[in-house]
Amino acid sequence: MSVFPGRLRKVTLGGRRKAQGASAAPEREAVAGMADVAPADIASNDPIIAYFQAASGAVDLEGLELESPARDALRAAGVKMVVPLVSQGELIGLLNLGPRLSEQEYSTDDRKLLTNLASQAAPAVRVGQLVREQQAEARSRERIDQELRVATLVQQQFLPKELPELGGWEVAAHYRPAREVSGDFYDFIELPEGRIGIVAGDVTDKGVPAALVMATTRSILRGEATHAAGPGEVLRRANDLLVPDIPPQMFVTCLYGVLDPATGRFRYANAGHNLPYVATADGVVEMRARGMPLGLMPGMDYEEKEGTIGPGESVLLHSDGLAEAHSPDGEMFGFPRVMKLMEGSGGGSEMIDVLLEELDRWHGRDAEQEDDITLVTLKRSASAGVTMSADEPQEELTSTAPAAPGRTSSNGRADDSVQVLDEFTLASEEGNERLVMERVTGAVAGLPLGSKRLERLKTAVAEATMNAIEHGNQNKAELPVSVRVMATDDDVQVHITDLGGANEVPDDTETPDLEAKLAGMQTPRGWGLFLIKNMVDDMQVTTDGDHHTIELTLHLKGDGNDD
Amino acid sequence: MAQRTLEMQVRKPHEGSAIVDVKGDITGASEDILMDAYNQAEGARAIILNFEGLDYMNSGGIGLLVTLLVRAKRQHQKIFAFGLTEHYRQIFELTRLDDAIGIYATEADAVAAVNS
Repeated sequence: MSVFPGRLRKVTLGGRRKAQGASAAPEREAVAGMADVAPADIASNDPIIAYFQAASGAVDLEGLELESPARDALRAAGVKMVVPLVSQGELIGLLNLGPRLSEQEYSTDDRKLLTNLASQAAPAVRVGQLVREQQAEARSRERIDQELRVATLVQQQFLPKELPELGGWEVAAHYRPAREVSGDFYDFIELPEGRIGIVAGDVTDKGVPAALVMATTRSILRGEATHAAGPGEVLRRANDLLVPDIPPQMFVTCLYGVLDPATGRFRYANAGHNLPYVATADGVVEMRARGMPLGLMPGMDYEEKEGTIGPGESVLLHSDGLAEAHSPDGEMFGFPRVMKLMEGSGGGSEMIDVLLEELDRWHGRDAEQEDDITLVTLKRSASAGVTMSADEPQEELTSTAPAAPGRTSSNGRADDSVQVLDEFTLASEEGNERLVMERVTGAVAGLPLGSKRLERLKTAVAEATMNAIEHGNQNKAELPVSVRVMATDDDVQVHITDLGGANEVPDDTETPDLEAKLAGMQTPRGWGLFLIKNMVDDMQVTTDGDHHTIELTLHLKGDGNDD
Repeated sequence: MAQRTLEMQVRKPHEGSAIVDVKGDITGASEDILMDAYNQAEGARAIILNFEGLDYMNSGGIGLLVTLLVRAKRQHQKIFAFGLTEHYRQIFELTRLDDAIGIYATEADAVAAVNS
């Protein structure tokens, strides 16, 4: 540990310090040989530092020929002789001596004695300095610990003290912070007509600021939950309230759902949190809804969906700490593993136990937990309300989604770095391609996509949407067109899906030819696919029997196609 | 739902040519308006399409332009255009519409080309 020259510590000979320190003139009546100077503030560029550092013993200031403000200051303070204290090559202090009381000059013996003394004193002074530094560090650590204790206190204050009691449901929650303070939170909010609001959230960052943001978010959600119409509206309002107040770089992912315990209906919206999973007899399904994390941008909309949790089924809300835990050799626990474990678990609190046991076994019980783990589950008892939910359509439990986002890109390569920017559906009505164009334009606004490429993307998206509306969904307004906008480091991808999987994929062998068209040999129309192909860098068409998807890829950086 | 608007006004500032000022979207739904404008331009040797007010054109709109070209060809009329953005100009090139429609930057350029 180095000592900065500017903070050299003064060492004085003799036992007494003058109360008023510093700039006093030399005082002969003081204790022998003592000169009292202010703590030597020697500028780091003062040549005297190098001189002292290299000196082999006591230095007579009288004879020191050096352009040095520090020398002048020492002289002015009555210092005659300086003995540098050097430890391990570093100047750590000065022994400053005034004139001898006998008014004689310092003798050779005096100098020897002082030099000897300095060589022994230096290490001792160094040790003293280190001790003081460590004490300072310990104090600062204690402050941090104290801060963490405060944050923990704030946070625990706001976690539910008890779980709600819902007839016909088993509610269980597990909360395990990574360090002392977690960014995770969850909440249950009692709503009219016996419904219950369920919150699972994660504040980026840790510590006191995160705890305060968590507390704020929780309060806002509680307030809005009782006023706003549905979960999407609750998140929309919460986002607008949080944006102005949240510290930069901080945001909150949050799932908010409203459960009607009587019917099992679960209406939910998601601000970038992990998708809830439902364990059913036929496997585990995801509850998808699109939305940006809270606190990033004002004016965001949150897709609202509804599913039904049937008798015997369990819904799991979970934070990143589970699926994103790593094994000692760096493998991620992963969402597929979570889903698989849920399948055979029996649901409810048993399911939480299964998940945690497997996690412990898998990343080692002694391994330090990387992130907070929060698991909330609601299990509907097998006997409850069968008749009430039998006719509930489950279409919104979108296990029917044509392709899981982020698993594979259009070229088939596994790609973990795909980021979903937006996902939405529209009715199959003529003209809606313009809405898709506008929404996609908004979704890619943050990408480094040049204006020419953006125009090309818009045209391709519009044409693909028109195809989906007209050909895939046969202009049946009630059939949705699903659009997913994704980005990787290099590409923007838009997948446009219709329900025309059973229809034949349009044959694109006939390239439209203007002369043939003008001569009446081809229909004047039929430009759509031709345009799409020429607008994007890659176009793939996939079909799975029900769905038909056009996958558009445009490189973010131009490759000459812009000309 | 998306408000889709299209207006076409026909001017005849010069002998023998008609200028159609396009404002809005040209899509497959634009047939009536486009053909109405074409009928108003009757008698003109040259029809000049002013695309300065074009917001959006899709493949359906391109198909209609092809139909317009077919009709104009039968009447021995020529079609010119000006005011296209770079993007739509590129689309005219891709579809080779620019072979059949003379593309110019400004109205003055297009009028000059008609009269040359």
